[in-house]
Amino acid sequence: MGLKRAFLKLAAIGLGIGLMTSAALAANLRVLAWDGYADPDWVKDFTAATGIGVDVVFIGSDDEIWAKIKGSEGQDFDVFAVNTAQLQRYIKADLVAPIDITKLPNQKEVLPRFRDLSQVSGDTKDGKVYGIPFCFDSIGLIYDTDKVKPAPTSMSVLWDPAYKGKILAYDNGEHNFSFTALTLGYKDPFNLSAEQMAAVKAKLVELKRNVLSFYTTADEAQQIYQNNDVALIWANYGQQQVKALQKIGAHVAYINPSEGALAWLDNWVISKGVRDNAAAEKWIDFMLTKKVSGELSERTGFGNTVVESSSAGSNDKLVWLNNVEDPLKRSDMWNEIKATP
Amino acid sequence: MRSAASMQAGERRLSLLVTVLAYAMPVIFVLVPLAIFLVYSFFSVDQGTIVYAPTLGNYIRFFTDPIFLPVFWNTIILCLSVAVICILLAYPTAYFLTTLKGRWRYALLMLLLVPLLMSYVIKIYAIRSILGLNGFLNKALVALGILDQPSTLFVFNMNAILLTLTLLLIPFAILPIFLSLERIPQTLLRASDDLGASGLQTFLRITLPLSLPGVASAASFVFVLAIGDFLTPQMVGGISGFTFGRILYSQFGTAYNWPFGAALSVALAIVVILAILIGERFGRNRGSSV
Repeated sequence: MGLKRAFLKLAAIGLGIGLMTSAALAANLRVLAWDGYADPDWVKDFTAATGIGVDVVFIGSDDEIWAKIKGSEGQDFDVFAVNTAQLQRYIKADLVAPIDITKLPNQKEVLPRFRDLSQVSGDTKDGKVYGIPFCFDSIGLIYDTDKVKPAPTSMSVLWDPAYKGKILAYDNGEHNFSFTALTLGYKDPFNLSAEQMAAVKAKLVELKRNVLSFYTTADEAQQIYQNNDVALIWANYGQQQVKALQKIGAHVAYINPSEGALAWLDNWVISKGVRDNAAAEKWIDFMLTKKVSGELSERTGFGNTVVESSSAGSNDKLVWLNNVEDPLKRSDMWNEIKATP
Repeated sequence: MRSAASMQAGERRLSLLVTVLAYAMPVIFVLVPLAIFLVYSFFSVDQGTIVYAPTLGNYIRFFTDPIFLPVFWNTIILCLSVAVICILLAYPTAYFLTTLKGRWRYALLMLLLVPLLMSYVIKIYAIRSILGLNGFLNKALVALGILDQPSTLFVFNMNAILLTLTLLLIPFAILPIFLSLERIPQTLLRASDDLGASGLQTFLRITLPLSLPGVASAASFVFVLAIGDFLTPQMVGGISGFTFGRILYSQFGTAYNWPFGAALSVALAIVVILAILIGERFGRNRGSSV
């Protein structure tokens, strides 16, 4: 997830430092967020509307958020952004406070899939809400509209011999096990039994024989696409990847597979060390306005929780990424798959 | 005013400092990290955290798990092939260079070494574009009528790794061979000529044997650089070009199994050290002592 935004991030670090020093007032709301989640004009509007000053610090990786929050036991920030897979770790370490959603009127207006937070895996614990969904993107399938007809509906097209040697897959065991488990119809792709793992592994060996190569960065996939005959790309970088390809004139489209697309979801959470809970709630509610959320999608290309965006149609099934049963095991098996002749 | 004795003492202290620094650099930056690697290779990982209890488990796994040894041998064979191809291409080039006169010789040598100044990643990207299905190589071969249609033979397989590594590493082969050829005294060649040897005989009995140390150094350079490379196989190897470097890399990135990665590194380091020793053994002296 860090990679995805890394290029934006570099530009933002300078800005972040500038904001930190210029607005270092004692009573300001302290926000820790990814670049693109707290743009200066939103911060200005928020301060104008509520009279609350804001200090934003931008982060570049999941590990950095953990280090900053854990390092100060939550005392250094009031509100921060974290994805659903990571959130449970913060709840367990008692670093985040439960959120009273009655204080967030805009949360009632969000898209249906985000309305009942108990249905958003990872956002609640013991009936209490800890995370308010804000930004997401799916990991769908990019297909070349000239080469793939009819339009695919499922990831199973990646195993279609008609596209042998024309498929770009992603070089990551964890995700590949998860999406293949979904393709095989398994309920929980993040907790696979030993038999399921073996079945997924066999399926991935077949996939390997059908693909052209495994890529790691969006740039790389794009370059391979340009120099080779590629029909299908497993789109780890979602919308950003589609838009970059369309920009260079590629005839590509994007689908979320019917069996469910893996998707990451970032949430606003309130730190245990929050100084002014009401101010933090106001910030989150402000982020859920149609204006801010709409602009978020326009500017970043990611999906938001308030207005429809191209990341996912209202009927698309999204499966929020979660921690997997044994990352080491998946990584080892992925090596075995790659070493299989 | 300082006495001569204290000046001498000062000088001695200075030379001691320089000596300590000279030893400290390789110790701190080479030996200590290597030692840490070695130590880590005897640890293990449980639930994402490193267990600091000594075990031979990593080495046992390396030798018993069916995936590691075949990839290991294949990688060694691949890198030996790269070294051989590099030598076969570099030798005539270096020989041609030594036949040039004066400034031309070094101008051309510099030109051949210019690629070393470019970013390694950019070179791989460029080579991959050239090798691709719609790439320059295929277009040229089709245009020349050598191929009927673009071929996927050149990219995302072992051939691609072989080609790319050869292209990347050939300057490292040219240089030592050139140096050893250049060091051969012209008088020897003239003497051979005077004694009635043909050009071929002179080459086979004088030039070639005297340049072998350079060839040995070149081969060990290329082999060592090739076997340590994980990026080239990652970027052009596709699904069939799976090398030891890629396995090793994955232990540090996604798997987060540093101890096992360290054990694999030790295995690789042994091969590298052997290659350097062999290069050293055959690369020493014979040329320069003449």
